[in-house]
Amino acid sequence: MKNSAVTVSSLVLGSLLAAPALAQSEVAEYYNDRYCMTCHGADGMGSEGISAPRLAGMEPWYLKRQLENFRAGVRGTHPMDLQGREMQPMAVPLTDASIAELLEWIGGWEYKPAEITLQADAAAGAPLYAACASCHGSNAEGNEALGAPALAGQNDWYLVTQLKNFKAGYRGTHADDTYGAQMAPMAAALSDDTAILNVVSYINTLGR
Amino acid sequence: MSNPVSRREFMNLLGATFGTGTLIRVSSALGLLPAVAALTRPVLAAPAPGAGKVVVLGAGISGLTVAWELSKVGYDVTVLEASNRAGGRIMTVRSGDVVDEIGNRQVCEWDNEPHMYFNAGAARIPSTHRNLLSYCKELGVDLEVFINESKTALIQDDAMLDGKPLRNADVSTNVRGFLGELFAKSFTTAQLEQPFTESEAETILGLIRGFGSLNRDMKYTGSNRNGYASGGFIDHGVQKEIIEFKHLMKSRLIGNTLSANEGETGPILMQPVGGMDRITAGFTRALGERVKYQTPVLSVKVRADGVDVAYLQDGAPQTIAADYCFNCIPAHFMAGIENNLPAEYMQAMKYIRRGEAIKGAFQAKERFWEKEEIYGGISWTSAPIRQLWYPSHGIHKEKGVILAAYDFGNGMEYTRMTQAERVEWLLKGGEKLHPNYRQLVEKPITIAWHRMNHMLGCSARWGRSGGGMTPEEEALYHTLQAPALGRHYMIGDQISFHGAWQESAILSAHWALADMEQRVRSAA
Ligand SMILES: Cc1cc2nc3c(=O)[nH]c(=O)nc-3n(C[C@H](O)[C@H](O)[C@H](O)COP(=O)(O)OP(=O)(O)OC[C@H]3O[C@@H](n4cnc5c(N)ncnc54)[C@H](O)[C@@H]3O)c2cc1C
Ligand code: HEC
Ligand code: HEC
Repeated sequence: MKNSAVTVSSLVLGSLLAAPALAQSEVAEYYNDRYCMTCHGADGMGSEGISAPRLAGMEPWYLKRQLENFRAGVRGTHPMDLQGREMQPMAVPLTDASIAELLEWIGGWEYKPAEITLQADAAAGAPLYAACASCHGSNAEGNEALGAPALAGQNDWYLVTQLKNFKAGYRGTHADDTYGAQMAPMAAALSDDTAILNVVSYINTLGR
Repeated sequence: MSNPVSRREFMNLLGATFGTGTLIRVSSALGLLPAVAALTRPVLAAPAPGAGKVVVLGAGISGLTVAWELSKVGYDVTVLEASNRAGGRIMTVRSGDVVDEIGNRQVCEWDNEPHMYFNAGAARIPSTHRNLLSYCKELGVDLEVFINESKTALIQDDAMLDGKPLRNADVSTNVRGFLGELFAKSFTTAQLEQPFTESEAETILGLIRGFGSLNRDMKYTGSNRNGYASGGFIDHGVQKEIIEFKHLMKSRLIGNTLSANEGETGPILMQPVGGMDRITAGFTRALGERVKYQTPVLSVKVRADGVDVAYLQDGAPQTIAADYCFNCIPAHFMAGIENNLPAEYMQAMKYIRRGEAIKGAFQAKERFWEKEEIYGGISWTSAPIRQLWYPSHGIHKEKGVILAAYDFGNGMEYTRMTQAERVEWLLKGGEKLHPNYRQLVEKPITIAWHRMNHMLGCSARWGRSGGGMTPEEEALYHTLQAPALGRHYMIGDQISFHGAWQESAILSAHWALADMEQRVRSAA
């Protein structure tokens, strides 16, 4: 395994997550601090079985905003957002300091492009993606200035859920979700599930 | 009852009232009540020199079974377990224990006494689960009887009699009285189609009379089967009033008073003295240093002649090379663990959905149920907590641990609640059965298996159609049961037709061991 990052950072995280938890009680039992990976997979490579996306390689500014949004209940609180509601309580105990340390930890994980699991019509997705490129970049590499994250290399099944959730109003409708509000109408413009699958298939063909 | 009832109507009525199919389906995850399993422990030979290295992934009971059987005949076994405890879904909570739910870590603060525990996962052992029982015997795990049904426990449904809790016996006696009358009438119809001899007819009528507690005229006029309203010991007993069926039939729960001792919960049930995790402790005591804790598996690579596993220990990556690998890590995690398992194998793995299950428990400041003549057993309610379990153990001690909710197969609402919301939800449900419940219980523990670290779910769901497995699903199942490259076996109750039983997990382990043994022998 070539991930020494895991070693160093788990020690860092150990101090930040274990300490407050132990303070609750006299019981000194080792607290497993690696709970992000339980869901997000070994090395944060994403886990389809849990519907939790790849975190390795994710832009720190985007990661930070999502964690803050989850923590504040801006994301992951809509009753129909089933996956978001699995993640949301995980962010609640995080402090600003622990988010900063998490960013450093996750930043050290080795980036591996996600496995392609979708077979749809990428050619039909290409023209649909034209509308997305202005924010997410023509190679879906993301654009920090616009707050739009990279999509290339992310788990395709996750992108599909997000587009469906944006379209249905399960994500991006909270009053304080400024960036989500910019994205939601873009998903609404995708006519149906087939369009969603096609555009994600096209994203799969971009650099990974 | 004035109109005669046709048999078809009669059966329909029964089905509608009790949802028999539903009941059976609920009692077994896949709609099958299996036959008593034979003792299936495979006979294993000692390994050939240099070919006896085995790595077991996950210290669930299936992994522990493999490890124990192989180490007895001389294999060099290592068990890698991600958590700080063995047992997985066998989990007993007692004073000082940590409930490692992600995002909602809890520490149990109950009185530190042997009877003050709660089985958060597996809790009941049927007498027909012979393989599990044989390990209990071998490993010195003391067992005691588990009381599944108490006729003095309660049935409560907001839709029935203004939500007033009724005693189980008051429900079952009156339901049987009603059904008895119905049987007697439909028997007359049935007789026309298929005549019985006079003595046969007498036998049948006698049976019906006994079933319903009917009088000579085959009428139900109340019974003392559910006890007297007063007296009966040293003065005359006063019979209880009849509860009319039209009231009782408002509740879907009344069937529970007839079926609790049938199906998988029918045979005498048992529990280990002191908690279900005594079984895990029996295995880990026998296995000693072979079990490594806090060693989450990071990657699994199968070769033609063995398996390489990477895991984490003290924060540092380690590797182990073995001749065979037995893996009970829940399938939903394997998608997130680096591997080179064959594509069709992973496809089968990803098909499985995570099951849901929730429980809750309180320390009761006093054993208030015993003052209501309840000793063990289950009360049922239409509230979402569904069940209250009174402990079968610790009778007449000062305090006890009451199981405050159990929903197998559901519970996502509860899972998503905060701890405070869950506790209120538990209290509200319990109050339906025992009005001053809130004052009588303290120190809640809530269990949502969907969020328990390293499990994140209950038993694997293979069938998506609601019934059993479709032929396509069965094909996926067999793909996953077969060893990858003849070296890597998936095990656990996830590789069975009958999830959520320890016996199934053990049988899957035995199947894999027997298959390995056959391969080893034919290679030799
Ligand atoms: C609420 C509930 C009630 C139940 N009631 C009963 C009952 O009354 N009677 C009965 O017989 N059975 C019951 N069961 C079912 C029983 O608990 C299970 O069938 C049985 O324990 C499953 O064993 P298993 O071997 O499949 O492994 P599991 O218990 O699923 O264990 C899997 C193990 O893998 C470990 N693991 C996960 N990830 C990793 C990793 N990356 N690396 C290493 N290890 C890892 C886990 O920590 C765990 O120890 C119940 C279960 C639940 C949840
Ligand atoms: C109980 C499982 C679980 C745990 C534990 C968990 N997550 Fe998540 N996480 C999820 C799921 C499921 C999603 C997908 C939500 C969705 O589809 O909207 C998610 C989404 C995310 C996202 C959003 C990704 C994106 O592209 O917008 C981030 C960031 C994230 N998780 C970070 C973390 C971090 C950091 C931790 C550890 C502190 C963590 N998660 C722990 C389940 C989990
Ligand atoms: C106006 C700019 C803009 C356009 C155009 C746009 N997006 Fe977005 N998109 C965003 C922003 C901003 C976010 C981040 C939202 C947040 O922070 O919650 C986002 C988020 C997403 C996400 C969620 C990513 C994740 O990791 O959770 C997906 C998927 C996505 N966009 C796909 C698309 C697709 C497909 C299109 C074209 C149909 C598109 N976007 C067009 C701005 C845009």
